[in-house]
Amino acid sequence: MNKPESQDLDDERPPIFKSWNQVYAFVLVLHAIIITLFYLFTQAYS
Amino acid sequence: MTTIDWIVMGGTLSFIVAFGVWKTRNVDNVRSYLMGDKDLPWWTIGLSIMATQASAITFLSTPGQAYQDGMRFAQFYFGLPVAMVILAVFVLPIYYKLNVYTAYEYLESRFDLRTRTFTAILFLIQRGLAAGLTIYAPAIILSSILEWPLTYTVFLIGLLVIIYTVAGGTKAVSVTQKQQMIVILSGMFIAAIILVNQFPEGLRFSDAVGVAGKMGKLNVVDFTFDLDNRYTFWSGMLGGTFLFLSYFGTDQSQVQRYLSGKSLTESRLGLLFNGIFKVPMQFLVLFVGVLVFIFFQFQRPPVHFNSANLQKIEGTAYEDDLVQLEQQHTAIFDERQGVIQDMVGAIRQDDEAAISAAQTQIAELDAQDDAIRSEVKDLILTVDPASKTEDTDYVFITFVINYLPVGLVGLLLAVIFSAAMSSTSSELNALATTTVIDLYRRSLSKDKSDGHYLRASRWFTIMWGVVALIFALTANLFENLIQAVNIIGSLFYGAILGIFLVAFFLKQVGSRAVFLAALIGESIILIIFYLTSQGIIELAYLWLNLIGCALVMVLAYILYLLGMDKPKPGASEA
Repeated sequence: MNKPESQDLDDERPPIFKSWNQVYAFVLVLHAIIITLFYLFTQAYS
Repeated sequence: MTTIDWIVMGGTLSFIVAFGVWKTRNVDNVRSYLMGDKDLPWWTIGLSIMATQASAITFLSTPGQAYQDGMRFAQFYFGLPVAMVILAVFVLPIYYKLNVYTAYEYLESRFDLRTRTFTAILFLIQRGLAAGLTIYAPAIILSSILEWPLTYTVFLIGLLVIIYTVAGGTKAVSVTQKQQMIVILSGMFIAAIILVNQFPEGLRFSDAVGVAGKMGKLNVVDFTFDLDNRYTFWSGMLGGTFLFLSYFGTDQSQVQRYLSGKSLTESRLGLLFNGIFKVPMQFLVLFVGVLVFIFFQFQRPPVHFNSANLQKIEGTAYEDDLVQLEQQHTAIFDERQGVIQDMVGAIRQDDEAAISAAQTQIAELDAQDDAIRSEVKDLILTVDPASKTEDTDYVFITFVINYLPVGLVGLLLAVIFSAAMSSTSSELNALATTTVIDLYRRSLSKDKSDGHYLRASRWFTIMWGVVALIFALTANLFENLIQAVNIIGSLFYGAILGIFLVAFFLKQVGSRAVFLAALIGESIILIIFYLTSQGIIELAYLWLNLIGCALVMVLAYILYLLGMDKPKPGASEA
């Protein structure tokens, strides 16, 4: 059995964003916003 | 169940299986079978990762948990997006660079063959037993609700999964998981809409949510730092990140999902897709549980949600006692109705004093009702001491079976079966891949043809499927087997994670140090477990995960400092 073909690791630019760091920041900031909304939801109905 | 429900459920499940087999009919080499041709786009990877993690128990237990305990369980997943980012940055490029089939292959290039084999065997023991539990846990609930023998539900889940997983391998798993996730998410959305539509006339949605909030069910975020409290923001962010790093980074059933991506970019986006959508999905599932809670504020819930348990009492000397308890339960419910209407009025007028008074009254009535429910459980145990009286897992399925319109009952049951099948297929696929790649091809039967390894992969998938079925069929014979599986997992999972963390982050530590550390660490874990089982020390077995991981890392580093060995040349480049 052969090993899988060599992967092209040339890191393409991610879609929409200019760099991967921006993508990671987007995911983490979005997560922070979601938690904030959850917190406001909790406070509003407690 | 009506004929239409049978058609919807049978049609949905048959379509998914047939589609999976048909779509992967051309899989004729081992790379396609185990890596899915590495042609999957990011959104298929993302859905596949989510489907693998979300088992049937997720959709049976989680709404019940919200019904009982509110939405705080959502915090358990708060560390997941952070873990996805860490894996996308540090771990994924390593796996891609080395072109590995399994996570454990990486350990050979980083350390040596024995470390790879040792870790692969630990994974096989742990995941092999868990696969049986993934079938057994929903099968026992569905058999109870549908009044089918357990054998039927076990075989329905197990055989369907084996058919398409054996036929199409990794690609079949990913293709079917896409369909399964669509069914699951559609089903949960529709259930939420139906629930809202079944609220009493005149009750606004905001009133209903307000009532749930005043009864403490909308406690999504809790910032208090309390080690005894299982679900807080801090336990989710700290413990959750650690847990999800180990699960998504070292468990082959997940690693295999994102390694089948078209490129590093697609795999990264797949992981991040999971990071973005997992928490909102859990919120939705929990919110469905809250909606079920609201529904049962206006519709009398059964005194015990597992109807099979209540049937055990019928025809016995305790039947009259049960009838009496049910009457008391109904009387409390009727009294509670008036108080809830008062609370709705108070919420509309923003009258804090009246809200507080209603809360106090409801708490008193709930305490009385809890006492009645406990008495019912005692009756069940008197009739059959082997009964399991915890009925939280039966809350959502009771609503589905009794209150959803014709057709949707079949769809929601298809959701539960789909969730069970999606997790099990990933597990069988990962078990077969690890067996072939890390043991059979590497150490037992080298340099055979591609066709040989393809056939071996299919046979190992069947073998693990049979193991899972046997385990699922016999699990009910052993009272503590489920707990035993969890304990076995905790015995090994810490060591596995410790080995990987040394590999990733302690680049100077070599193979002899990590292998010896893993052996010593695992031995200490087994000794601690023995002392715990003898009552000499007291320790919850979940802590063994953390202790095992820490022991391997600390011992490996100490052994390195003592000059045990040096890492393989080039290992730091991995």
